[in-house]
Amino acid sequence: MAAPTLSVEQQIQQLDDARKLVLGDVTYYQPIIQGILPIIGPSARVELRRWGAEFLAETFAAPRVPAQQKETLSLIVLETLKVMIENPQEDPAVVKSIVQTAASVYPLVFRWIINNSYDGPTWERMLAIKSRIFRIWDSAASGVRICCIKFAQRVVLVQTAGPDADPRRGDPMEVSLNMVPQNHPLLAPRNLEAEASGLLDRMLGVFQESTRYSDAILIDATLNTLSILIRARPHIANRILNVILNFNPLKQANSPMTPKLRVMVKSMEKTTRLLLMHINKRYADYVLPDPSNADKYSDPQNPLAGRIQQYVERMMRSRNEIFDEASRKRGPPEPTDGLDAAKRQKLAAPVPSATPRFHVPPLKPGPCTVAELFTVTTDEGLKAFDVSVLTQDLVVKIGITILQKLDADTLNQAVEGVRQRYKSLAAAQPEELDPATAPLGVDEDDDDYEPDYFNAEDTEQILNKLDNAPPPEEPKIKVPDVALQHFTLPPPPPLTPDQAVQIGQGTVTRVFGVMQTLEEPAKKIKSGMNRLAASAYDRDAWITIITRLATRASAGLEEPATPVKIESNGADSSSLSNTIRESLYLYVIEDFRKRIDIAVAWLCEEWYNDKVQMKLGEDAVLHYEKWVLKVLDGIVPYLDARDKVLTRFLSEIPGLSLDVLTRVKGLCRDPAMVNLALTSLLYLVMMRPPVREIALDAVEDIWSTYEDAKPIAAKYLTKWRPGFAERLKSKDDEEEEKKGNGIAA
Amino acid sequence: MAQVLAQPEAVNGAVSNGLREDHGGFKLKFCTVCASNNNRSMESHLRLAEANYPVISFGTGSLVRLPGPSITQPNVYHFNKTSYDSMYRELEGKDPRLYRANGILNMLGRNRDVKWGPERWQDWQPGVPRLEHNTDRGSEGVEGGVVDVVITCEERCWDAVVDDLLNRGSPLNRPVHVINVDIKDNHEEALIGGRGILDLADSLNKAAAEARDMNPSGFDSGNAASRANFDERVPEIIGEWQERWPNLPAVWTLAWF
Repeated sequence: MAAPTLSVEQQIQQLDDARKLVLGDVTYYQPIIQGILPIIGPSARVELRRWGAEFLAETFAAPRVPAQQKETLSLIVLETLKVMIENPQEDPAVVKSIVQTAASVYPLVFRWIINNSYDGPTWERMLAIKSRIFRIWDSAASGVRICCIKFAQRVVLVQTAGPDADPRRGDPMEVSLNMVPQNHPLLAPRNLEAEASGLLDRMLGVFQESTRYSDAILIDATLNTLSILIRARPHIANRILNVILNFNPLKQANSPMTPKLRVMVKSMEKTTRLLLMHINKRYADYVLPDPSNADKYSDPQNPLAGRIQQYVERMMRSRNEIFDEASRKRGPPEPTDGLDAAKRQKLAAPVPSATPRFHVPPLKPGPCTVAELFTVTTDEGLKAFDVSVLTQDLVVKIGITILQKLDADTLNQAVEGVRQRYKSLAAAQPEELDPATAPLGVDEDDDDYEPDYFNAEDTEQILNKLDNAPPPEEPKIKVPDVALQHFTLPPPPPLTPDQAVQIGQGTVTRVFGVMQTLEEPAKKIKSGMNRLAASAYDRDAWITIITRLATRASAGLEEPATPVKIESNGADSSSLSNTIRESLYLYVIEDFRKRIDIAVAWLCEEWYNDKVQMKLGEDAVLHYEKWVLKVLDGIVPYLDARDKVLTRFLSEIPGLSLDVLTRVKGLCRDPAMVNLALTSLLYLVMMRPPVREIALDAVEDIWSTYEDAKPIAAKYLTKWRPGFAERLKSKDDEEEEKKGNGIAA
Repeated sequence: MAQVLAQPEAVNGAVSNGLREDHGGFKLKFCTVCASNNNRSMESHLRLAEANYPVISFGTGSLVRLPGPSITQPNVYHFNKTSYDSMYRELEGKDPRLYRANGILNMLGRNRDVKWGPERWQDWQPGVPRLEHNTDRGSEGVEGGVVDVVITCEERCWDAVVDDLLNRGSPLNRPVHVINVDIKDNHEEALIGGRGILDLADSLNKAAAEARDMNPSGFDSGNAASRANFDERVPEIIGEWQERWPNLPAVWTLAWF
């Protein structure tokens, strides 16, 4: 069993340790992923492959890993994923994790391909994985099949148009068809959309097939993936909802009920109902009332809210008859009856309103809320709709449109109705209650009790409470409160430093997201001296903003950790500025050939800021030197012998130190890079007189250290260092002499 | 396929409080949920942790509510901000006789040995590492911040959990079984419910371990039996469990993190 080096248990133990490391610090993901890929390959033992597949699924799901980093990582693992999923002998648990990983990776790769259309091989790999998943979708074990469904859902989400094409709004990582340019060489929006449409049909097929009861898990898995599609892709929402509304989860309840079947039927019914209630509650844009017909929905966008409500009620009744009356043998009432779309529409069709009379039902006796006072609709679904989830300007827009269209007579009737209610309330005004001293209202069920705390709950909890309890019964609201009273929002809870840093990081990540999506300007417009930095909202402007945010925002606020003024590598690196720097660094390194100008712009800002800080105080924390070296170290291993990047970088950064030149000298260890290093130094010698001497020193060092570099270095030195030719000559003579002596002796 | 689980002690309710020896092997990761993350979810949290399962627990209420001197004066605390220990000390200072008699101090005393304080489901972000919870009972194995099975103790909590998962839009693409086991909110029922939940966890884990031990003959080939994997068997396992525990009605669904 034991491998020559380590047993499987020991290896897993080591892998677990590595995992703990990345769970604690996401910056280690890249080296660790690269390290484990060979260990978990197809020839590895099944325990290791399972571990690896699970780890990959976890990595790409991890909310703490920035999307940029995941994108880079996804390119590294794609080949491994493809090999693993294409192996027909692969263990099902491994396949399950790989399909999960693929679902997380798909939007990342899609986004990468949108921005990097040259990368055909990567897209080929992704397509191979995709088609493999769709092939095993129907034949694999259920555990794998549900993950195939989830993968299909991700693909549909990515390959349909989102409602908002503006990348600055909404989730920065939201990927949709809107982002694909029409003339993209690899991605044809039309085909992608057609594929998504077909996939959606295939997903929804599970509701239409004569459902065998073993499909309960597939049905649940599908239902629970649909909410985001319905909410984020309004144009396919009706199609999905129509299929669900024609699905009868209780259909099998008439066959003899085994314990297993009971569990499954109950599960499908409850899951369907919860999804529909969730949609009716949350999907607010969906339910816009037409005021002239207050209890009907004539909004063409959604004729379904009423149907959903009726479906939910019918389901609950049928379920109670089947399960709660314990009469298992009785067949279910036919709930599909009346679900037929044609019949339903007849029922819901607005009665030709010969009576324009607008009826405002009187209030129920007893205390009521302000909301109840002004609610004139009788529709329960509409009452539950929380207008506060809409944006303010949307509400204003709707309000204006409604007022323009509204028949004055109807409005008057409604106002009159509410006035009557108000009068009847005022007549029956309850005794004064002081909210501060009144006993907390508690009903019998201890759990249902929600105390009325003033400022005690945070906004989130209050919203949550409101969502959960329509219509709220708050006996403490007195009628006089109906009149406008001074109201101040409770102050928001103060942010902890951690939260503040986290939110700051979120903002920074979004700015980077925007930068990536913005096209590079085709032609640089010279804006002259008088321009204002960062006023054009293009990519350069964002870069200016982000670099200044990194360098200036908290400059001078940092405490120098030690008398040594250079920023230390240690603990204080968690500050926001350093997080931005870290992100900038990663952004530059990700594609340094294209982004070297950003690196230079950023380092110029750092240099300037360091100078300013030094002028202001003795103990300023300096950043420039550290980050120059870091960027250089990041670039150097990837340099190509013909890269001009290094020369450009060295000549444009504002300050050069011996450390930087040492890095350049180090390049000469590789004979292929000698030329590049020396040319870069020569350029410095020629074009930057202040550093000429140290650059020449560096060349001389190279000359004396690296054999391969001697001829060229000697050439440069002869030209630029006075007296070098003579020294060289005398040295040569000496050697000749030595040699001669040696031979002689 | 026949799956007979001998759990006589659990059914009789005689023993089963014992600490179990850890035999290693595959372990499902669990999460228990009730309204206040104090009584039912904590009883089963401890129960599962004692059986060496990785486990975390939450409450779905808006606030932590504990009984007070009368039904109109409950003790109310914030989730994630108040420790069990501080609740214990506060109530002990208020009226030690009352809170000892109604079992609250006993409960809080147990809870503070399990973890720091009540956590709210809706504030939990699945997938965020929980390394800082390493002293909690049952924390070993849930460092990654995700679980395989969520067990709620009341249908309202199940609804809240499933609705919350729908709301989050399943960004992690990870399946999770959400099972409700209806338990009345008092100390006696919590004890019985805890035993029931442990029995359920054992049954589920046994099936999951079996599925993993099966010699992988490849998922393309292979007969139906070898393909009957864990996820598919869950409704059957719950059905059988329900026969053993008819007083703890169960609901199940397959949801997504």
